[in-house]
Amino acid sequence: MENKEPKVVIDVKNLTKTFNVYYDKANTLKERLIFFRRNNHDVRVVLDNINLQIQKGETVALIGVNGSGKSTLLKLMTKIIFPNKGTVKVNGRLTSLLELGAGFHPDFSGRENIYFNSSIFGLTKKQIESRVNDIIEFSELEPYMENPVRTYSSGMYMRLAFAIAINVDADILLIDEILAVGDQHFQEKCYDKLRELKEKGKTIVIVSHDLTSIQRLCDRSIWLNNGRIRIDGKTEDVIPEYIKECT
Amino acid sequence: MFSRIKEIYKYREFLKTTTKKEFRGKYKKSFFGVLWSFINPLLQLAVYSLVFPYIFKVKEDNYIMFLFVALVPWSFFSTAVAQSAGSIVYNAGILKKVYFPREILPISIVASGAINFLISCIIIFVALIVSGIGFSWYILLLPVILLIQCIVSLAIAFILSSITVYVRDVEYFINVLLMLWMYLTPVLYSISLIPENFLGILNLNPMFHIIVAYRDIFYSKVMPNMTNLGILFGVSLVLLFISYAIFKKLEKRFAEEL
Repeated sequence: MENKEPKVVIDVKNLTKTFNVYYDKANTLKERLIFFRRNNHDVRVVLDNINLQIQKGETVALIGVNGSGKSTLLKLMTKIIFPNKGTVKVNGRLTSLLELGAGFHPDFSGRENIYFNSSIFGLTKKQIESRVNDIIEFSELEPYMENPVRTYSSGMYMRLAFAIAINVDADILLIDEILAVGDQHFQEKCYDKLRELKEKGKTIVIVSHDLTSIQRLCDRSIWLNNGRIRIDGKTEDVIPEYIKECT
Repeated sequence: MFSRIKEIYKYREFLKTTTKKEFRGKYKKSFFGVLWSFINPLLQLAVYSLVFPYIFKVKEDNYIMFLFVALVPWSFFSTAVAQSAGSIVYNAGILKKVYFPREILPISIVASGAINFLISCIIIFVALIVSGIGFSWYILLLPVILLIQCIVSLAIAFILSSITVYVRDVEYFINVLLMLWMYLTPVLYSISLIPENFLGILNLNPMFHIIVAYRDIFYSKVMPNMTNLGILFGVSLVLLFISYAIFKKLEKRFAEEL
């Protein structure tokens, strides 16, 4: 195989994911004995036979209304959850930013959390030390580094989380709708950084409802509807269709 | 299997920070802080060494030391087992949002317990000198016994931590079980007090051999029964593989069950 050939970094095949939706999660012995055999949950198909391939260096947006399965698909790609049917194959180091400061320890200082959070992404101490200054600089939180993060505002939280995730140097970056928290200036900065990573040949998959930003960043968009791929194509073709349907 | 070890090695910094957090974070905000992990066994020691020689009339030359060298490793075991049960459940927050090798959580519990135990060994050494018992060469076997204990604890930690996600009751049940387990292990009494016909069953308890071995090297200053330790080492390795396989199986639905 030639090196110039686009390399598939995320390969999703015949993927189906169902969730059990419980009416009431409490499932005690008492209830079991009284309602023997009663089925207290529904099975909901969140993703239905999804097939898609993402090549190295692509920037892909997942769009769709709430509950269409976008976040579930991201979680499957990170291996937080596992499919019922089908496979998800990932080649390369992957970082996901699914929620603001997941894994931040509120009582620890900003600096300690940089170390702690980067280590969750699988960096070694040496690697973290070489990145710490970049992270602080990008987050613009220098004066607050020694304060515990529970004193941070949600904007500051997100800045720190984003600064860490972006400095992990992953080959693949998965981002769930979280950029909305930052102010205009920081959002701009984030998108600039994402564009910079894109030029470096990183793969980015982003879930967003901010269609303008998607149009500026992503070449490809995948529109998910009710757990199925509605349209998968160039952003400039997909977004007008999506807008037409939604309004 | 080999790829999993590589994956865990890649996340070694995370293992280190969680272990540290486990070790320091436990007593955060308390006045004595980390000192509690040493005060606790000492207080326990005080209670038992009042109750057993004076009320139950246990006869042993130096009961305090007899008990101390067994109580410290036992409290390492029981704390590790009790804490491991909740290790996955209590970390639901990060588990649902970030990928990392899940096995790091129970491993870090056992690792922080082992570090705690090694520090406590310094107190044991001091106590051995002060009490006039002194050292023997057999003390060099300490790492071997510790290794076996870590494998046993880890095997139990894998099973308990993953099952607790599905059956929360395990967490509440485990404390009673540990109390029973302690009385089935010669921590408070010597093996000579055990009736012959019970000895066979008690032999199946891995902690039985471990505690006896600790007491041999520290207190009695004799060679521990290496055949028993050898068998136990083999059995505990098999147990570890089985419990890890169970953990990997149950791990798939962690994020959904939590």
